[in-house]
Parts: sequence; structure tokens; C-alpha cells
Amino acid sequence: MPVLRVVLAAAVIITAVMLELVVLARWQLPGATPDLLLVVVVALAIARGPLMGAAAGFAGGLLLDAAPPAAGILGISALVYCIAGYWVGRVAERNDRGPVLIISSAVLAEIGVVAASAGLAGLLGEDRVAWDEVVGLVLTGALYAAILASLVVPLVTSLVRRTEPDYQFR
Amino acid sequence: MRDNRRPRVIFAVLIAIAVTLVVIDLRDSSTGNDEGGIRGFANRFFGPVESAFSTIVSPVRDVISSVGSWGSKDQRISDLEAENARLRGELSTTDFDRSRLAEWDKLLRLAGIGQYRIVPAKVIAVGPAQGFAWTVTLDAGSRDGVKADQAVVTGDGLVGRVLAVGPSTSTVLLVVDATSTVGGRAESSLQIGFVSGLGKPNELSFQLRDPFANIKAGDRLVTFGVKGGVYPAGIPIGTVTSVKGTPGQTLFASVDPFVEPTALDLVGVVLIASRTDPRDSVLPPRPTPSTQPTPAGTASPPTTSQSPPSGAPSSSTPTPSKSGP
Repeated sequence: MPVLRVVLAAAVIITAVMLELVVLARWQLPGATPDLLLVVVVALAIARGPLMGAAAGFAGGLLLDAAPPAAGILGISALVYCIAGYWVGRVAERNDRGPVLIISSAVLAEIGVVAASAGLAGLLGEDRVAWDEVVGLVLTGALYAAILASLVVPLVTSLVRRTEPDYQFR
Repeated sequence: MRDNRRPRVIFAVLIAIAVTLVVIDLRDSSTGNDEGGIRGFANRFFGPVESAFSTIVSPVRDVISSVGSWGSKDQRISDLEAENARLRGELSTTDFDRSRLAEWDKLLRLAGIGQYRIVPAKVIAVGPAQGFAWTVTLDAGSRDGVKADQAVVTGDGLVGRVLAVGPSTSTVLLVVDATSTVGGRAESSLQIGFVSGLGKPNELSFQLRDPFANIKAGDRLVTFGVKGGVYPAGIPIGTVTSVKGTPGQTLFASVDPFVEPTALDLVGVVLIASRTDPRDSVLPPRPTPSTQPTPAGTASPPTTSQSPPSGAPSSSTPTPSKSGP
């Protein structure tokens, strides 16, 4: 059922990005904005493997790069989330998919995504990057990712299971 | 083994595409204002999607922010609690409506005094903090007359400028963004300079053109307004909190913006600026010196000699006061 799989993943990704921009970013929590997109990419990567992880990360990152309030360099998020999704998928293939893996992979992926996005943007001449804030953003981002992952990953996994009961979880 | 290679190949292809996109974006270095590009498409398609999401979640979002502290362990009064919560929810939405109405009033007042023609809009989405860009999406676009490089205000003062426009939404670059620069002028004086964002929510930097300028904490800034420029003259920007640098070389002032970028809701896009400079008339009346606490930093008491222009806006300005708002 590849069509259903793609449609479901697209719906989940678009919803995640929209909620991140319309709701989570407006809450103005201290530090980073809770990265719902990353958590959803992690969930899809754990449920479906590195290919889905990479594709979801690329598509979601591109959406985040291009959807209205975006003003940074186009393509950086697509690159960074794609790598994160692929990496989580690879790790999940070889390990037990328990809560430890879910939360630790989300935390590590978020640390990597925030640090790499800031580093790449700075390296490529984006003069917005506030280097003194990067550490705070990484730490708060990791905390929010841990909380979000414990809630959202089981939700997405059950959604995937329900729509495709015969899908082989390797 | 073949099954194991496919993800790797596709991953490599996706990475290559992403890198290509970055390179293209760097070469064009456009701000997303192109109609045909990926951002143009995203503006056309995902702008309305964001509007829809905002409409769906806004009742929940607004109530969640004000309710949130009730609850007790007693089972017997759970009915009363439910009713209490309902009433409190109602109360908070009424409060919310009332504050929105007050925002409207202030916005109309500012537009009336400054004689700016504005189109009202609501903030529907905000850029994530880890992206470093201080930008928001408004629910007004080219169909409402919004164009790139128009100024955006609230009843309190300057918000920013329009960066990109879709048919029904637009992206605003806030003044606190690190790439934003606005020509500013101190109240009742000719001290001009550039107000730059620092990427922080509550601070702007005002670099004075004249290194010997007489500026002190408590001075208020309005937009300078160059003819044909982005920002119309006279929009309030913020209050000077401290002065840094050495007079004679470079003089910087730290500025607290009037508009809180983290609490934006109702804004106005300035479609047509006033024909005449409203001077300082748009600034709110200064609090009376007796009740005003001494401003932090270099505490030079605010002199009252220059207050008449801001105290009585409509009478002292050279603006031909026609029928007002």
C-alpha cells in the first residue's frame, strides 16, 4: 500500500509543520520552539525505516524552509532534517524500538538539527545567527523534543499500525 | 543486499537536491519575494492552509493561554468545577474580545492621527525560534492591497515591514530581526540615525548619525521617513533606555521597542502613508514628570520644555487637520 503510506506520511508532516508555526511558535516558550516536525520525522523513521525517515525529513524540512513566515536560506532545513530522519531510521533498524530509543534518538536528532542549522546558516553568510543563543536553543530544544517524543511517537506509530495492520515492522 | 542499497541511493539523491536548493538560493539571494519560486508556491498554497489552521485552533489557543489553573481533588464538587471552568472559559474569551477591541481602538487612533491608510490583519503564524528569523505571517495579502516593503504597525507603534506577499497572506519582517534597519529620529529633535534589530525580543540598537548628539535615556524615537522609502514618517518605535559609546566617535543608544514582538495579534499594514510628516503627534502623551520614575541608566530628569508638541497632538502639528480619523 505505498500510496496510502505516502498520503498518510504527507498528512502527518503537513499537520506537524502547520501546528508548529501556528500554535507552538506563538506560545513563545523560553528558548527554542518545540520541534514537532522533528519528532514526527523521528516517529516515521522508527516506524518505517531510513528511507521513509530521509524522505519525511526532506519534505518536512523543505516545507519549513518555504512556508510563509520563512526567511532564511532555502534548503538548509531540508538537508538537516533529511539526514536526521535517515540516521534515526538506521539506528532504529538495529536496535530495540523501546521508549529509550524513541526519546534518546529524538533528543540527539534535535541537538544535531538545531546545531547544524545554525552552523550551516552562519557558515553560508546568514547574518541573523545569534551565536550566544545557540547553546540555550539546543538545550531547550532537546528538552521539548524529549517531552514531545514521548507523546507524539506512540501516537504516530499507532496511526501507522492501524492504517496498515499487515505492515512488517522489521 | 539490493534492498539495503535502495534507501542509501535515495538518501544521497535527496541530499544532492537539498544542497542544490541551498546553492540556488544563495546565488539568487532573493528574499522569497519571487512569485514563481518554491517560496512563491508555498505562499500561494500553504498561506491559506495556515489561515485555516489558525482559525481552527484559535479558540482553543486563546482559552488555553488564560485558563489553566483550576482543579481540586474533591469528587463531590466536580459538577461545580465543570461549570466553573465553563464560566471561566467564557469570561476569558470575553476578556480576550475586550482586549482585542482595545487593540482595534488604538490601531485606529494611530492611523487617524498619523493619517496613514491601513488594512487590518491578524498574525496567524510565527517563525520558529531556532530559525533566528523574527518573522510572522499575516492573514492579508495581495488581494487586500498588501505589497512588499509596506510598513506594518500596531496601535503602539512600528512592527516591521512586509517581506513577501501571497494572494491571501503575507510575511512580515519584524523590527527586532537582526537584518532589519529603520531610519529613526529622536522625539522633538533632529537627532537621526539607524535603528537596527539585534535578534532579541526586547532590544533595538539606535546608531546616531551625529556622534556629538544629545540623547539620553527616556527619549522616544519615531520613524524618520524618507520620501519613497519603506517606512512613513512619525511611527513610534521605542524608548531609549541607555546610551553607549563615546561621544565624538560612535554613539549608540539601546532602545526598548513600543511593540512587544512576542505578543502580536492585531496589526495594520500601511497601504498609503500620510502626505505630510505627522511629526511627534503619533506618540502617546508623555506621562507627567511628577509621577514618572527616573529612567534607568544616565538619570537626567526629563525636561518639560519640549513636551507641548507631544502633549497636544492635533493643535501643534503643521498637519492640515481636516476631518481627522
